[in-house]
Amino acid sequence: MPAAVTPPPTDDLDTRRRPGTMGLLLIAPMLVWLVALVVVPAAIMVVYSFSERNPDTGQATFVFTLQNYVDLFRPPYVKAFSLALGTGGVAAAVIVLAIRYLGRQWMWLAELLGKVQGRIGAATFLACFWIAINVFADSSGEGGRLLKIIVDSINYAGLSTIICVLIGYPAAYFIGRSPESVRNLLLILVMIPFWTSFLVRTYAWITILSDNGLFNATLQWMGVIGEPIMLKDTPTAVMIGLVYTYLPFMILPIYGSVERLDNAMVEAALDLGAGPLRAFWGVILPLTQPGIIAGVLLVFIPAIGMFAVNDILGGHNVQMIGNEIQQLTTRARNMPLGAALGTVLLLIFVLIYYFGTRRRATA
Amino acid sequence: MKSLVASLVAAAAVCMTSVSTLAQELNLFAWSEYVPQSVLDGFTKETGIKVTYESYASNEEMVTKLLAGGANYDLIVPSEYTVEALVKQKLLAEIDHSKVANLKNVMPMYLNMPHDPGNKYTVPWMAGTVGIVYNSEKVKDPITGFKTMFVDKYAKRIVTLDDSREFASWVMVSQGIDVNDVTKETLAKIRPQMQKWMSLVRSFDSDSPKTALQAGDVDVGIVWNGEAALLIQEDEKFKWVLPEEGAHKFIDSLCIPASAKNKDAALKFMNYILKPEVGKEIWEAFPYTTPNAETRKILDEDSLKNPASFPANEEKLATFRDIGEMMAEVEKMFSDLKGQ
Repeated sequence: MPAAVTPPPTDDLDTRRRPGTMGLLLIAPMLVWLVALVVVPAAIMVVYSFSERNPDTGQATFVFTLQNYVDLFRPPYVKAFSLALGTGGVAAAVIVLAIRYLGRQWMWLAELLGKVQGRIGAATFLACFWIAINVFADSSGEGGRLLKIIVDSINYAGLSTIICVLIGYPAAYFIGRSPESVRNLLLILVMIPFWTSFLVRTYAWITILSDNGLFNATLQWMGVIGEPIMLKDTPTAVMIGLVYTYLPFMILPIYGSVERLDNAMVEAALDLGAGPLRAFWGVILPLTQPGIIAGVLLVFIPAIGMFAVNDILGGHNVQMIGNEIQQLTTRARNMPLGAALGTVLLLIFVLIYYFGTRRRATA
Repeated sequence: MKSLVASLVAAAAVCMTSVSTLAQELNLFAWSEYVPQSVLDGFTKETGIKVTYESYASNEEMVTKLLAGGANYDLIVPSEYTVEALVKQKLLAEIDHSKVANLKNVMPMYLNMPHDPGNKYTVPWMAGTVGIVYNSEKVKDPITGFKTMFVDKYAKRIVTLDDSREFASWVMVSQGIDVNDVTKETLAKIRPQMQKWMSLVRSFDSDSPKTALQAGDVDVGIVWNGEAALLIQEDEKFKWVLPEEGAHKFIDSLCIPASAKNKDAALKFMNYILKPEVGKEIWEAFPYTTPNAETRKILDEDSLKNPASFPANEEKLATFRDIGEMMAEVEKMFSDLKGQ
């Protein structure tokens, strides 16, 4: 039964179900793992990010400084950021006011506004702000490079997440609704790529995407194109690589939700006169939302820090935050600045996770 | 990126071998596409010492990993200017010459060089240069140097090394600036042209720039001469050009980090690779400019004629010197100008 209609557990049940010392013992290995491989490294990174750089070695010397963060948030970024906030705000206000005004003219619009009230302002503002920051990050010149990389990374990761949802949702729905025997076979097909090393699979994409590769050769053979399209070493290739890498991480959690979806609910919706679209929008989508949110988190968060795919398919020419951190900590020999950027990335993750799960809680 | 695969493999190997420390081991940290497996196997067969080969794609990357600690490297292969910096920071151990008798095989011009007078810390591994290679089936106008290659008609048909110091040096020589005169002023001076040139580049690759040329993704490349020599051996359509504006020579040497655990094994390896026949084995896999006079004697005529392996003016080419803190500036400018 879906969670929405389950009666809340009584206190009595709750205490009986609470894990005792035995339970703690059982999760101890995982806790040790978490502390050793997540908490401690993250703590080291944060400490490094507040340390001075040793000019000879590029390593951190343990003298407290805020310089690394000052270097990260240099005036050009702050300027671009505030400009984007300003223009984004003004543009959003104009759009919202315009819609309100039009809403008075047209009843249907007013009706629509009544339904999505509150959210529309925030969404419009976010969209306007994002467009503005893309523009300003592009034009802020030499000093604005890092901001541009962060904005680009969010764009690449965001776009590949959206594509993953668009491809992954129908696939997961189809798998989840298939008869059991077929379902297991399809699930194995989704997971087969994991049997081969991720790097090997990414290298394989080179032979598909290069100028004389499979993709161009096929299109040329069919006479669709004359000259090969340059795909490898472009942001498009990086996007293809990201979607390819993370698609299974979108399909699996959505499949989990779809499999648990109660058919009776969908039938009830249809019986009560909802069309297929309405049933999907009003019943199926809300019930599978937890899977989508989990998938979005599983795709977006790793994608934003990716560096191997961009290096292999982007010809070391498509820069994301991951590449920048890698360069700072290795070649540029500035461990503290790399750590500071890593800390900023960690904060972005925490924010995304917070908003992702908060929405799930209210849903 | 092959270095990434290699280092993952090496990391796995380290995990496995550290369990059994019975046999003697040597941790070699060298450039990617530089050490043939057969040489490592031959060394193990002769001495019983197991070699773990981890790779890197730039001097700066190697130094960072060396300084970060954690891994114990017994041998590294820095280029001359990095040797200079490592010596200054007292990070290298002195070599006991009595244990490297084969050092006598090295040509005099590759001994006693400015970065290490008396070869107290270094044993030359391979020398080489960086030059232009192009596909003569696609490129019809003669390319003679950087200025005739970084032109709009080859936009996005170019691969270059992913190396900031190298790239900056190409712009510097084309503007008549000495490659070792790296200051804030000279960097500011070369920046506009470097930006223009970098925008024409399709991909940056230090591991194996020849791959993009072989695949036909690009028609022109600035590559290590060893990679160019392989391309020429493979297909006559590839032509080698030593840039007319000027070139430099590099010399990568085996060095023992001061922190090395198996210094004896490292010395044995140095002596082993200086044998003429081992030198030949290395050259055949990675045909750079071998500094080993005895090896050159046993190479056949055709091999010695490969223009990429053995540049005509070998003796006259200068080397990079350590530029200290300016290196970070060069790196910063390079990554600033990437991906536009």
